[in-house]
Amino acid sequence: MVHFDLGNISSGPKDYYDILIVGGGPAGLTAAIYAGRAGLTAAVFEKALEGGAVTQTHIVENWPGFTRIEGSELGEKFAEHARSFGAELVTAEVTKITYDNEYKYVHLDNGKVVKGKVLVYATGAVPRQLNVPGEKEFRGKGVTYCAACDGYLFSGKDVVVVGGGDSACDEAHFLAKMVKSITIVQNLPYLTAAKVLQDRLFSNKNVKVVYNSLVKEIRGKDKVEEVVVVNNETGEETVIKAEGVFIYVGLVPKSDLLKDIVEVDKFGYIKTNENMETNIPGIYAIGDVRVKNLRQIVTAAADGAIAVEHAAKKYF
Amino acid sequence: MALLSAKDREYLTDLFSKEMENKVKLIYFGDSKENCEYCELEEQILDELQELSDKIIVERYNVNDHKDLAEKYEVEMVPALILTLEDGEDKGVRFYGLPSGHEFGTLVQDITTFGKGAKPDLSPNTIEKLKEIDTPVRISVFVTPTCPYCPRAVLTAHNFALINPLIKAEMIEANEFFELSNEFGVSSVPHIVINRNPNTFFIGAYPEAQYLEEVLKAIK
Repeated sequence: MVHFDLGNISSGPKDYYDILIVGGGPAGLTAAIYAGRAGLTAAVFEKALEGGAVTQTHIVENWPGFTRIEGSELGEKFAEHARSFGAELVTAEVTKITYDNEYKYVHLDNGKVVKGKVLVYATGAVPRQLNVPGEKEFRGKGVTYCAACDGYLFSGKDVVVVGGGDSACDEAHFLAKMVKSITIVQNLPYLTAAKVLQDRLFSNKNVKVVYNSLVKEIRGKDKVEEVVVVNNETGEETVIKAEGVFIYVGLVPKSDLLKDIVEVDKFGYIKTNENMETNIPGIYAIGDVRVKNLRQIVTAAADGAIAVEHAAKKYF
Repeated sequence: MALLSAKDREYLTDLFSKEMENKVKLIYFGDSKENCEYCELEEQILDELQELSDKIIVERYNVNDHKDLAEKYEVEMVPALILTLEDGEDKGVRFYGLPSGHEFGTLVQDITTFGKGAKPDLSPNTIEKLKEIDTPVRISVFVTPTCPYCPRAVLTAHNFALINPLIKAEMIEANEFFELSNEFGVSSVPHIVINRNPNTFFIGAYPEAQYLEEVLKAIK
């Protein structure tokens, strides 16, 4: 089925908004909805597509109201919802954040600077790298972190999926329909994904798992040809023939624009109080980028609501 | 059945009436169904777009029956879509393959940009550097319709093309033109190739300044 999405249409930012939201995932877009409800103007700055990492998720089954919805569709709905409350969705990358006593400023990669009273930072997290030989070298030559983007380019080929969590299993299930075979490489003796995701994954006949194993190296000539894995109990090395390597081994926070401005923990996650405010008044952090226990769409959305509700009372 | 929902049509009608000051010409080249799997769908989506605004003019050509014109616009494969101002002036903005999925938003954004006189949304520094380019540059952005990072990579290239007549920028749907994608070793998108040289390419979502740097590096 062919879709035609309106995703990234934007008419460009004005000079000032009450609330500047950096990142257009579930957290940022919920913040925009609550800003609209509070009668505040808001702009959401997103370099990819509104919806954030959700748009790359194959199937979402833990957002209340939808027993099952495609990630890209849910992302679209979030964006549509934010737009209906008057939010300006701006397609641009924020390259710098500054502030003075009165205002916060986002500096965009097209040279524009937009001013706001409150800044809400909702950039989320990006895929963690394996840091093994061959990973960098073969990026874009077989190594990838986005099944939604690149899955079809591996139709009929053998691939390896690294990781055993929710993302790894969901994306492997998505890939199973198009690729020839999948070998999942997991460092533990079991998968950590939710049971429902594991059951679904194993309904595919072309999926197998190599447990207790770490990727040692990704090898090939011009592009990926094989993956070397080591059993972490026996030390035995195995070579798996594959043309694609999809890496899902967790996330690292995308706090680079704020980490020298506000307090972060040793992993780079941003520290906030229970109102989502950082140690700098008027700068909030929400969603996957902040220190928290559970990183899910529903907790990201909750963060967005809490932050803007608080900011609306305190600063306007 | 319509490809666009009633709600999307309503949104786009409103958007075009607010944003479009000038007419935009969409010049489409296609072929028969046997030779072009996606041409029929592209024709349908163009029909639906045209209905939404009198500022959108669609011209349709069969690539075999209009060889001269296809040559004039350097059409290499179909479906091809070239955006121009009302007078047909080629700004170097092209789509090869159906602009579906997330790329539909790219097409709509391009249409509104042309509707406002094809003024690029770039920093003064980037504009200055692009103006200095004095050799032909062809930016080919390989995409898939499900890639959320791709629209921006295409829009940045299209904006670059608006600055300098020597720059041409094309979206290429990687699945649809699978052989070409293979030729350039595309396995992660967006995959951006400069001057169709398989060795001058970069992959991923680059902010404007780095995007420009990569292009300049490739043509040095």
